[in-house]
Amino acid sequence: MFVPEIQLSLNSVDKTYYGKKIEAAVRAVKNLSLQISKGEIVALLGSSGCGKTSTLRMIAGFEDVTGGTIQLSNRDIHQLPPAKRNVAMAFEGYSLYPPLTVRDNIAFALKAERISRSESDAKVMEMAKFLEIEEILDKYPSSISAGQQQRASLARALVRKADLYLLDEPMGQLEPQLRSVLRVRLKQYLQEHQMTTVLVTHDQTEANALADRIAVMEDGELQQFESPTQLKHRPANIYVGTFIGEPPMNTFAAEVKPIGKGFQFQLEEAGEILDYQNVDFPKSLRDQLIKHRRIVLGLRPHAVKLGKGALKAQVISNQWLGDQSHIAAEFANRIVVAVSHQREAFKLDENVPFHLEASDIHFFNAENGNAIAHGLEI
Amino acid sequence: MATLQVDRITKKFKTDVVLDEVSFEAEEGETLVIFGPSGSGKTVLLRVIAGVYEPEEGKVVLQGHDMTDVAPEHRDVGMAFQNFALFPHFSARENIASPLTALGKSDSQIEEQVLSIAKLLKIEHVLEHFPRALSNGQKQRTALARALVAAPKTVLLDDPLRNVDAKLRFEMRLELPRLLRRFGSTVLYVTQDYREAMALADRIAVLVGGKIAQFDTPESIYLRPSSIEVAKLFGEPAINILRGQVNDEANRVSVNQNQFILPKGFHNNAGSICDIGIRPESIRLFREKRAGTISLEVITITPLNERSVVLLRSQEGLELLATYPAEEKTAKIGDPFWGMVVPEDLLLFEIESGQRCLPKQN
Amino acid sequence: MNQLSKSQRVFRGTLLGLVILFFMFPIFWIFLMSFQTNEQILRIPPSIFFEPTLINYQALITGRLETQAGNLDIAFMENLWNSVFLSSSAVLLSLVLGVPAAYAFARYRFRLGEDIAFTILSFRFAPPLLVLLPLTLYFEDIGLSNTYTGLIWVYQLISLPLILWIVRGYFEDISPDIESAYRLAGHSWLKTFMKISIPLARPGIAAAGLLSFIFAWNNFVFALVLASADKQPVTVGALAFVTASGIQYGQIAAGIVLSVTPTLLLALYAQRYLVEGLSLGAVKG
Repeated sequence: MFVPEIQLSLNSVDKTYYGKKIEAAVRAVKNLSLQISKGEIVALLGSSGCGKTSTLRMIAGFEDVTGGTIQLSNRDIHQLPPAKRNVAMAFEGYSLYPPLTVRDNIAFALKAERISRSESDAKVMEMAKFLEIEEILDKYPSSISAGQQQRASLARALVRKADLYLLDEPMGQLEPQLRSVLRVRLKQYLQEHQMTTVLVTHDQTEANALADRIAVMEDGELQQFESPTQLKHRPANIYVGTFIGEPPMNTFAAEVKPIGKGFQFQLEEAGEILDYQNVDFPKSLRDQLIKHRRIVLGLRPHAVKLGKGALKAQVISNQWLGDQSHIAAEFANRIVVAVSHQREAFKLDENVPFHLEASDIHFFNAENGNAIAHGLEI
Repeated sequence: MATLQVDRITKKFKTDVVLDEVSFEAEEGETLVIFGPSGSGKTVLLRVIAGVYEPEEGKVVLQGHDMTDVAPEHRDVGMAFQNFALFPHFSARENIASPLTALGKSDSQIEEQVLSIAKLLKIEHVLEHFPRALSNGQKQRTALARALVAAPKTVLLDDPLRNVDAKLRFEMRLELPRLLRRFGSTVLYVTQDYREAMALADRIAVLVGGKIAQFDTPESIYLRPSSIEVAKLFGEPAINILRGQVNDEANRVSVNQNQFILPKGFHNNAGSICDIGIRPESIRLFREKRAGTISLEVITITPLNERSVVLLRSQEGLELLATYPAEEKTAKIGDPFWGMVVPEDLLLFEIESGQRCLPKQN
Repeated sequence: MNQLSKSQRVFRGTLLGLVILFFMFPIFWIFLMSFQTNEQILRIPPSIFFEPTLINYQALITGRLETQAGNLDIAFMENLWNSVFLSSSAVLLSLVLGVPAAYAFARYRFRLGEDIAFTILSFRFAPPLLVLLPLTLYFEDIGLSNTYTGLIWVYQLISLPLILWIVRGYFEDISPDIESAYRLAGHSWLKTFMKISIPLARPGIAAAGLLSFIFAWNNFVFALVLASADKQPVTVGALAFVTASGIQYGQIAAGIVLSVTPTLLLALYAQRYLVEGLSLGAVKG
């Protein structure tokens, strides 16, 4: 069996920021363990304050590791200064050297590599073409836009030969059209050159497009570390389930009522009933559901099938985005979002019937948010 | 009569012409989106309308009055900035109350109105905080509250969702239209995100290089773009543009050795070389050969939320990007497909000007 | 990496101690001297232990100095008042003129703007002696010699450039959007300037004002040449202690303590503004 070589290893890494008082200490990263293979692209995903940037900075060496260890290519790096780690990093903010032109900034990263001048020029040119910054190569950082600065910073990090590449929100300053195009190119480039990469982002669309595996973090803790497909189809908990996917997953807290062969789920708050009494639930799932009398049901937007069904919702908005429609409707005291892949004629305030298939339901534990089953499979 | 009119506004910075004879108008209560790539002049346009910048030529008419010589504070305009621009030394409450204090309202009235809008925007629990203690999302809502609280006739929103997390941005995209409808103001909304534009707008003014490239409803712009430039700005992934030759009967266009059926009405373009535009979602993919399809092979697949993006290549080397509902298929690299495009979904553009060729009805 | 080892901490402490000693010792010694008589001061070897006396302060405050050679009238308290009055007035005037000017330079681009600003700054580079001779002649002509007005006017050469340059940096750092937002909320330009621009630039204004006060207070040459006895500040007034009968060290020391005290207290109180004020403006992002 092919076992990929581990390139980067974080073992029980902890980061605590100390304030002036004992109580002011903040545990930004809690007991984080990740093994990343050579050539793999991994995204650290989460909202602001989840610990993803602190983690990246610890890998780079700009922050001390409060606890745990980090290994890169089988050597301990967590106590080495950044320069000795053989890691290349592209920063989110302004990080180009002001007195050098963009070209010189990028070439600077190649100085340590002892390659010929012509080879260095060729690499810089190739990188510039790839990131579409050829016109600004001879300009100074102060005279180019934020988006161009960001691409130059990226170029400088990627042009080097390093054991690991760290990208902090690599496309944050770019406009949507450019971001789309560069995402595809970046992924191809990283894969072609087998570059082990860790990138940080708060945009799950980006993480899904670029990464081989995504580490979802919240409040310093790792929630799930798997491929985008796994995260989408088998989220480990409600947090991951609702974070991944746009529009986000719809969630309903409900009481479990065994009836007939199957179940009815009575939604808390409004008391609406989702009827699956004629659905064959596998025994293991039946047992689980009976054990938890309260659960949370998760349904992705495409699972909300508008047009027919026993349930009714009132349309609040119907937004057509060219290739799909997002329809938001009020149901059981909350807003439910459905996706349709064509233009829909629903009008505001219209009452629309809809149904939800049992095989589309993600079942979550109501107390701790952990997943119980996805569809009818545990 | 339109409640907001922008009439041939021209604005220069030294020799740089940032806005070139920009004209459009908006009805009362309409949400008009100004959309364009960065550097197109959107923010400058908004500031000219606000009165912060003076145009070299042209005029701004609000509620029927020519505002050329009117100072910003007298234009009855509420504005929310991209970088929030909250007063750092005022609490959130004081920030929001600011337009009301200028109107000389009583303390109790101000208190009531501030609380009311804070509740609407779900920030009533942070009213006493100062901007530095607020999250980006809270800052954005405070800026919005400040812009709306005095119910101004015109509301200017300068890319308010730009600096906010992706999750919150999506949430606001759903909430904003309802919120804005409550106030009934005429809204000018600037954004670079085409989805935001299509979701929020009654009409969109597409601004490219300081000029209006098209001014129409989202549907018209998406389905009937005035030029290749406009077509490329809407849709993700970007529209496929292929150079091809229209045959003499003007019913087919060939790209390399592949042929696409043209809809009726393009006799004027018979025999000429054109650019054809095919939106990714309009490529129908089948697992088996059908009439009029081309043989394609999957090169890469990328997820894009509810849809999957697939790069396909024909035997002759033609590359196309297509999308389909993610739940519909599971494809792998190397899978064969047969693809076709419904003629009505094809867009034809002139080579020289980039303008779309309009089908004629005879 | 962030924690210093014990030996590093001891080393740091020792170094700091030496530096403090180096700077503070003269001031400490003079403080001691001010409580000693001339005989005690001149005694060899010098000693830290002595009987403190207040006669020096007495002499300064009452204005009468008793020496072996006779009694002298000293105008020290007058000089002290002159220093306070001149420095305060000069700085106040500079603030009234300089703050709006700094705003104009920060916000508006006008022809020769940079040149004018730089010219004003250059006044600080030029040695005072450069303008002193012509000034004495002009002042005689227009009757400003030995007047408060004349001195306050000349002090502008010291305080105005400082205020202009420091406060301008502060105004530049305030995002124009914040001011626009206040205007659009319905407030006039003037209201915006008073309620938004000035409060946000306050650290810079305080720092610049304080620094200007210190420089104006320390000025020697202008007052020496352009004013005579009754208008002179302490810097010049201290010369009076060099008398025919010898240098009155005790009184000089007491005089120094009295003249340093106001600015020292002011600086100690506002020192957080100084550091915050001077660096906040410089660093962007």
